[in-house]
Amino acid sequence: MSIIQRAAWVSAVGISIVVGASSVHAGEVRLGGAGATFPAPLYTKWVAEYEKVEPGVKIDYRSIGSGGGVKAITDKTVAFGASDAPLTKKEIEALGGEDKIVQFPAVIGGVVPAYNVPGLSQPLNFSGDVLADIFMGKISSWDDPRLQELNSGVNLPKLAITPAFRTDGSGTTHVFTSYLATQSPSFKGEVGAGKQVKWPLGQGGKGNEGVAAVIQQTAGSIGYIEQNYAVANKIAYGAVRNKAGKFILATPETMSIAGEGAAATLKGTVLRADIWDQPGDKTYPISAFTYIILHKDLSNLKTDAEAKALVGFLTWATGSGQKFATDMDYAPLSSGVKIAVDNALATLTHNGKPLK
Amino acid sequence: MTTDVSAISAAALSPNASSGDARSQHRSFRLGDALLGLVCRGSAAIIALMLGALVLVLLTSAMPAIKQFGLGFLVSSEWRVNELERPVKDAAGHVVMEEGEVVMETIKPAFGALPVIYGTAVSSLIALVVAVPLSLGAALFLVRVAPTLRLAGPLSFLIEFLAAIPSLAYGIWGLFVLAPFLQSRVGPAIQATLENVPGLRWLFYETVTIAGKAVERPIPITGRDMLCGSLVLAIMILPIVTSVSRDVLKAVPRTQIEGTLALGATWWQSCVAMLRYGRSGLFGAVMLGLARAAGETMAITMVIGNNNQINPSPFAPAQTMASLLANEFAEASEGLHQASLLYVALVLLVMSLLFNIIARRLVVGRASPAGH
Amino acid sequence: MASARFETRRLTSDAMFVVCTACAIVIVTLLLLVSGYLVWIGAGAINLSFFRDIPTGDVANPGGMRHAIEGTVILLALAAAVGVPLGVAAGVYLSEYRHEWLFAGPLRFIADVLTGVPSIVVGILGYELFVVPVARWTSNSVSFSGYAGAAALAFIMIPIVARTTEEMLRLVPRTYREGSLALGASKAQTVLRVVLPSAFGSISTGIMLALARVAGETAPLLFTALGSRLLTRDPSEPFPSLTLQIYTYATGPYPEQKKLAWAGILVLLAILFVVNLLIRLVAARHASTRLGKS
Repeated sequence: MSIIQRAAWVSAVGISIVVGASSVHAGEVRLGGAGATFPAPLYTKWVAEYEKVEPGVKIDYRSIGSGGGVKAITDKTVAFGASDAPLTKKEIEALGGEDKIVQFPAVIGGVVPAYNVPGLSQPLNFSGDVLADIFMGKISSWDDPRLQELNSGVNLPKLAITPAFRTDGSGTTHVFTSYLATQSPSFKGEVGAGKQVKWPLGQGGKGNEGVAAVIQQTAGSIGYIEQNYAVANKIAYGAVRNKAGKFILATPETMSIAGEGAAATLKGTVLRADIWDQPGDKTYPISAFTYIILHKDLSNLKTDAEAKALVGFLTWATGSGQKFATDMDYAPLSSGVKIAVDNALATLTHNGKPLK
Repeated sequence: MTTDVSAISAAALSPNASSGDARSQHRSFRLGDALLGLVCRGSAAIIALMLGALVLVLLTSAMPAIKQFGLGFLVSSEWRVNELERPVKDAAGHVVMEEGEVVMETIKPAFGALPVIYGTAVSSLIALVVAVPLSLGAALFLVRVAPTLRLAGPLSFLIEFLAAIPSLAYGIWGLFVLAPFLQSRVGPAIQATLENVPGLRWLFYETVTIAGKAVERPIPITGRDMLCGSLVLAIMILPIVTSVSRDVLKAVPRTQIEGTLALGATWWQSCVAMLRYGRSGLFGAVMLGLARAAGETMAITMVIGNNNQINPSPFAPAQTMASLLANEFAEASEGLHQASLLYVALVLLVMSLLFNIIARRLVVGRASPAGH
Repeated sequence: MASARFETRRLTSDAMFVVCTACAIVIVTLLLLVSGYLVWIGAGAINLSFFRDIPTGDVANPGGMRHAIEGTVILLALAAAVGVPLGVAAGVYLSEYRHEWLFAGPLRFIADVLTGVPSIVVGILGYELFVVPVARWTSNSVSFSGYAGAAALAFIMIPIVARTTEEMLRLVPRTYREGSLALGASKAQTVLRVVLPSAFGSISTGIMLALARVAGETAPLLFTALGSRLLTRDPSEPFPSLTLQIYTYATGPYPEQKKLAWAGILVLLAILFVVNLLIRLVAARHASTRLGKS
């Protein structure tokens, strides 16, 4: 057999594998979404549940971080982006301006101070300024008097504190640093708020998973992660003192209360509301909406069917899908918020044609 | 000496050129030759295009950062993606007030590559210091001892297989085995021994600037730090440095060794002569290891702790150029942030190309191109 | 006096002999410990479901890695479909056209240099060249794709295949070429019918080495193929790969997913071991047949 014959034979096999492989999924609608890691477990659940409702729609959600989600939707590399932080002015400009995009809250989550301190039986109490000073290195040991003061009666060990933080751009960091910036002026001036900040010290992990892994593997560490990641991984997390001076643990109820007041402020197609440090006795102070971002004209999708499938999924997720939120330690959207979301979704078009 | 194949071909064909049948055959020959030449030259040109594309794409995408920071990027240690808003302070350090309000200033994001250049350089150098002596010793064993024990074949196979293990596997081993071991055993043991030795305090304490004041605090030993990163790198480059050094030593002429032995040299003295004879090749092997360590991504990202800081202690987390890219590139949405990452990628590319060029020049033809 | 110096020299020599032996033992033990540990833990985590199932989305019962195994196979096939012909042809150029020294020399050098490009940089190039432009120009909904991933892998393969092909072709005795040409064959016939076939075994060894190298790559795929939890066979979508899935699971906090990562590493190592063994066998057989011929 000559080289050419052999080569022809080999490439024929190769081509037939590829061609055969790519013709497997006729009649299915496939959509890609990417972004925030915080809602990823819920989105994955939604996708699995929605496949039961609409078997022809397959959605792949990649948790690559909020920064990545915004980048992906700006570059039109995905059907929808997801971010824990609402779009900034600059990002809105990059997407073509307010009237070219739709942004809406999908669910409420809370960021918790999760820690790995051996030998504790009950959740620790924290306050905003103490957390800020821990993450700035001003409080460096677990038996620091200021921590002891918040946790009278708890036998805190003499153990060095290792702060754990996110190395990637993330909405979790945005929520946590925004909250700390309201609590500590020196934090605001030196570390600042943002999706990615320069932490003065500590260990970095990529994604909520990465930080959770650092906490699990490092005695004495404290990190900020979404509440459901802490619950799913059985990592201890503390209560945080709210505006009313009460120590509150993050639960779907305490986070949902934080979102209630926001409905009135949600108008137009670019919905946003900051809900950390809200008043109320039972309000968990580090709560936030997580957002989904779309191009208002879904021309980044190939067909009408894809566009309709996407809108169908998102309407379902912010409606019937909300019942899965509580099971997974997220807080559902209140009915007032849902109305604002539906109004925003109704403005979506595909190549100029309305979808609903 | 290269043979001029086409000259022979012309000579071989010329006697037949007179008959018409042969002429048409000749034409089809020329067509075939031309086609083959086209395909081969085209494919070879693609290799040049690949390098061109690599440099061009990185250069153009990094341009905003290059324009903004210039070469100062390489020596600046600030890497802050977010804007800061802080009160303006006057020369005396007092907050400036205007009409009863604090005047705020916005500090723009800043990007500098010094911490990751430092992280890359130090982790690679520690890896070399650990790996090179071991590799040279083992290479001598493979060349001078193993053949007499009939071990050369199996050992070579083993080392080549280990060189082929992906960095992901070494990274996972480092993350789940080496890092916990360093955290629970090695770190505390070293700390207990050296903590009170004068002059070594920097190993276990770091100075952090908090609210303008320098505060000394202990470095928590987490196992995921510069030490762990360097050790994983060392283990990863052991096989490649060993196998290239072995090839270099093998190529030392027998007469060299026999000559020294005949002059009454001991076994070790003849080894030294061998090392000296092959020193440029061995240096090439080291450079190859350095290039591999500097460009290594997955394993180092998993174990180095991912903190953009310059800390002399091996127990502090660090960041390398490659791990910075793996951590931040996918999430970088802001223009200057992404451009700065591409600038880092460009620096990394230039650096590893440099190491490779030096290495290849020194180990001419010895290192198998697939062995990298 | 002189004998004392001789004695020291002999002692030094013996000591260094021991040190060298120790170095070899340390390296081999260390590396065996690493790979042995990986195999040991992986063997405890692997089961049929690993090969049969795809991810469920449930972290306590995460399914298997069938999608990732298929993904890696398809990625490799695509990368090879581009990289092997280009690499071999470029290798033929470097060997058979090396009299064109003005180009052949520098090209060989460039190919060498390209084998040393850090794989993360290749990944970034893939993102800038194949992911962003595809998204901008085609208005495709998802432009992270298997094609982009395969292109990044092919980028790594081409210089390796080219250089090994060249080395192998250079080993073909000059007399083969001269004989063929003397019999009236053209250069194209000589290269395709005589030179390449006689080096076929060793070239395929080089190709396998290149495939083995890229099979274990993660960094070039991070920003190109991106990974996927779906069983997809359409390379224009975000594409799963064994290495990406292992990385995601290994750096995450879920114990059941970590188990899958260990099993994945075992499968990867097993593939690489078999490939290396095959290469060695082919090389050995090839060496002996060539010896017999000459």
